[in-house]
Amino acid sequence: MYKPWTKINGWPSILLGLLIFVFYYFYYPYHLHYQEQFQLFLNSSEYLSEQAGKPGGLSEYIAGYFIQFFSYRWYGALTMGVLLGLMSSLIAITALGFGRKKAFELLACIPPVLYWSLFCDENYMLAGLIALLLSLLPLPLYQKIKSYPLRISYLLVMLPALYWFAGGMFMVFGTIVIAWEFLKTEDTTLKKWSVLFISCLLFIGLPFLAKLVVVQYPIERLVSGVTFYRYPQYPVWPVVVIALSTVIIPVLFFFIPDYEKKQRVFAVIFQLAIIISGSGYLISMMVNKEKEEVMTYDYHVRMRNWDKIIEMADKKAPSSSLSVSCLNLALCKKGIMGDRMFHYYQNGLAGLFPSFARDYTIPFIAGEIYYHLGFVNTAQRYAFEAMEALPDYQKSVRAIKRLAETNIINGEYNVARKYLKLLQKTTLYKHWADKTMLYLSDEAKIEADPEWGTLRKYRTKVDFLFSEPEKDMMLGILLQQNPTHRMAFEYLMAYCLLTKDLKHFHSYYPLGKEINYKSIPLHYQEALIYIWGLNHEDPTKNIPYPINDKIKNDVRTYGNIYTSQQNPEPMLRKQFSGTFWYYLHFRKHNKATYEELYDVYADNTSPVSPGV
Amino acid sequence: MKNYMMYMLTILLLSAQACNEAVVPTETKQDIPIVFPDYAGVTIPASIAPLNFSVQDEFSRIDAVFEGSETGIIHIQNKEAIEIPEKEWKGLLEKNTGGSLKVTVSLKKEKGWIQYAPFSIYISPYPIDYGLVYRLIAPGYEVYSKMGIYQRTLSDFTQTTLIENTILPASCVNCHSFNQNNPKYMNLHIRGEFGATMLSVNGNTELYTTKTEETLSNCVYPYWHPSGKYIAYSVNKTQQGFHEIKNKRIEVVDLASDLVVYDIEKNQLFSSPLLKNDSVFETFPAFSPDGKSLYFCSADYKTLPLEYDQIKYSLCRIDFNPEAGGFGQVVDTLVSASTTNKSVSFPRPSFDGRYLMYTLSDYGNFSIWHKEADLWLVDLQTGTTRELTEVNSNDVESYHNWSSNSRWFVFSSRRLDGLYTRPFIASIDEQGNVSKPFLLPQKKVSHYDNLLQSFNIPEFVTSPVSFDIRTVEKKALKKERTPFEFRKN
Repeated sequence: MYKPWTKINGWPSILLGLLIFVFYYFYYPYHLHYQEQFQLFLNSSEYLSEQAGKPGGLSEYIAGYFIQFFSYRWYGALTMGVLLGLMSSLIAITALGFGRKKAFELLACIPPVLYWSLFCDENYMLAGLIALLLSLLPLPLYQKIKSYPLRISYLLVMLPALYWFAGGMFMVFGTIVIAWEFLKTEDTTLKKWSVLFISCLLFIGLPFLAKLVVVQYPIERLVSGVTFYRYPQYPVWPVVVIALSTVIIPVLFFFIPDYEKKQRVFAVIFQLAIIISGSGYLISMMVNKEKEEVMTYDYHVRMRNWDKIIEMADKKAPSSSLSVSCLNLALCKKGIMGDRMFHYYQNGLAGLFPSFARDYTIPFIAGEIYYHLGFVNTAQRYAFEAMEALPDYQKSVRAIKRLAETNIINGEYNVARKYLKLLQKTTLYKHWADKTMLYLSDEAKIEADPEWGTLRKYRTKVDFLFSEPEKDMMLGILLQQNPTHRMAFEYLMAYCLLTKDLKHFHSYYPLGKEINYKSIPLHYQEALIYIWGLNHEDPTKNIPYPINDKIKNDVRTYGNIYTSQQNPEPMLRKQFSGTFWYYLHFRKHNKATYEELYDVYADNTSPVSPGV
Repeated sequence: MKNYMMYMLTILLLSAQACNEAVVPTETKQDIPIVFPDYAGVTIPASIAPLNFSVQDEFSRIDAVFEGSETGIIHIQNKEAIEIPEKEWKGLLEKNTGGSLKVTVSLKKEKGWIQYAPFSIYISPYPIDYGLVYRLIAPGYEVYSKMGIYQRTLSDFTQTTLIENTILPASCVNCHSFNQNNPKYMNLHIRGEFGATMLSVNGNTELYTTKTEETLSNCVYPYWHPSGKYIAYSVNKTQQGFHEIKNKRIEVVDLASDLVVYDIEKNQLFSSPLLKNDSVFETFPAFSPDGKSLYFCSADYKTLPLEYDQIKYSLCRIDFNPEAGGFGQVVDTLVSASTTNKSVSFPRPSFDGRYLMYTLSDYGNFSIWHKEADLWLVDLQTGTTRELTEVNSNDVESYHNWSSNSRWFVFSSRRLDGLYTRPFIASIDEQGNVSKPFLLPQKKVSHYDNLLQSFNIPEFVTSPVSFDIRTVEKKALKKERTPFEFRKN
């Protein structure tokens, strides 16, 4: 039996796989968690037939199967390591067919390293790698078939099958076959040209044939087939480069000479140096730690890991609006927003309530804030819109789960049941869905649930239309209906402080009287003493609020520095950067443009519907 | 060899039969079973696809016997749902047209078989049109994912795609409309980067730009004149709002709207000061089947968005002169909002001229988001109007239209889960008796559970729709458009 894998040196692939595992496990795990939420992988034959019903669909289905487990850190990292390691091995095996060149075996690592660097951008889809692997898998057998008619038959079966399973990546198989025929077989020229002709005919013809069946896709989409990039309409030249390198490297093995043992060591060291430095450079270019940070914050919000969020911020204060909004939510959930929010960088309202954007990321994050505040319909809308905005037309398991929750809170049990039934067909959410089914129509059980019961109390009992520029008014309505709604009060206070609207802060402040704070939160004390000071010479005297002595002393010191120094900012930053006063005087709070606010995800926009 | 084949076939048939367990009931219930979809007591056309169903209960096997009032019987047993073979079903319905089927359902549970009281399915003598055309789209807010317009054969489960937005990336397709269900006259809007209005008349497909300097917007809600020479459109400036209270989601309001008619031959839009009035919102035009009247909805202007819930549309009518292409000088009010304190939308006259069906909601015109929205019927002979209690539910009933013989109507309803719109069909006889509606049957009972899209604007068609999608694709991508002109008086 032919066992090519026993003849290659497996260590480069294993080491590469290990390196990738370490990278994703320790350095870049949230990029993988991120992927998991943007699909709804169902264990049903209908889902399989729907997914596999177009060229490249099977690759997307297989990728989806792997991605559904990416919520496990080790699993995601292991999958990436194994798949990219497998790619390296398959290239090495294919190359072996063209000639055994021990000195150059490391070259097989180049295409997977290139793909690894692409995957640092979260919009490159795993389906592309699966398609490439599917196209490489049948090559070793082709190389072993000696009979020309058998090879032609194999080619005629494999090319259409691969086109359907792997989309445009089928050309990798076809191109290597052509090279093999011309370089490695001793058949007549006519036979070689026949293979070339048949392959080229199928390269061009199959997408056009597919257009007869799958009429609702433009021909460009049928040429590529697989969704290599989350935005299918964008060209994917980097993937084309990887596919080309996957073809060229094995074929190179036919031409390059092998070296003797001594020279071989130098060649290996040289290749190692090039691959390590090259991949290091590429990965560092492609890695986006800002996005990884936002994904980390968002993941912990989704998992309600409030302490972890604060712990993260204590290590490195977040600066992007989305991360700051996650931190503020965590501070509020832990009851320390009024005491600590200005200990961290604050970037105005964008860090409190990210505005709605027609994309698939921002509404999820913003929706979490509305959900926990009790704006149940807005949370529902944001989840729905995030799902609909997915440019690859997938559904989102995160959105479906949130829609089930919001409909349960709203008492819309029939539609909640619909979502739960779908989740019952998933692997990881089945248990949750089974458990949640028991809540449907059981009012007492829902009321007793610590989260859903509370949100039922928080949500509005009077109708109003959501108003983006009047979030303070909306918070006020929630608070008026439920004066003990601490989160609404603290967000309302934070809204005023972040917009430096001291007039409204002062007028809204009494709304919190039923919350029964043991002492006034520190930042509110800072604002109150500042407001008092605006009309009184000594802000610490006769102030009608119980302000603690430290703040009284601090305001005097702050005032002295602020009024006595020509450029007080550096000195105040050192001592008072964690106060509301410093934010008031030295931080901008202007409403930023969409790009400024969401530079991290500025490209993820979707079109608007004219109405359904 | 032939004998051998026959022998094998008999063995196969016997084994298939042997898979059915004998139903010996250990308990007989006096109630009928709660079947999904609810087909108990419905009236169906003889050509409809099999009414596959299941029972909302736990069981290990389900058994159903369909017995024709005239002749014929079908016996089905399965694990999860009753799935009836199309050929047998068709034969049974044909033999019992004008009669009924008695359906006896039994469920196998732990303690044995439980047999329920039988229910009836009535087979109407009136034929129904060839199929339905609808849009499938998620019931979302502002953003849309994959969506398209599809046609479904009513006699079987075949659904074919007419156009999907996959072919024109980031586009939206809507407002498909036919001339009295004749698919040779089709209107379709494409919105987005490749925006256009597609008109397909007798196989000739053209794309148009419908916005003119004189009109508020692109043409929106269409209705064909029976002559095929005109299409009435509304032009609307629309805005959405989002409710915060539970059980309400979206509010769609027109900030301004007018009515126009498009003369296809002359490529001209025209209107009347009575239909293009700044102090009035006019929308949802519909020609009468004789082509001499235009029905529409009309509401007094209110300050928006403050008074959005005070906008109430009346059902109105104006004369239309198809020869000259002009309007009368008087607007009649058939159903007055000031009398009902409710709002009318989607007026749809039956094609025999006898009735006009409309949707009635508390306010506004976007009734699909109004849970209180119900169907009402005006008898145009007597002028009386009544609620269609036979088909209404506690949830939304909204868009509706008639079959070409006016004996059937299809309507969209959210009664199943409160959000995802599904198409229901009911019949109406010469005396105006309306039957219990039935949900459009699907091959798999779980179809509606799994589908995350609404059936939007269900329209009957008398034969398959055929327009050349490649022509539309090419013209849309090349942005080849004929601009509408506006007639200067």
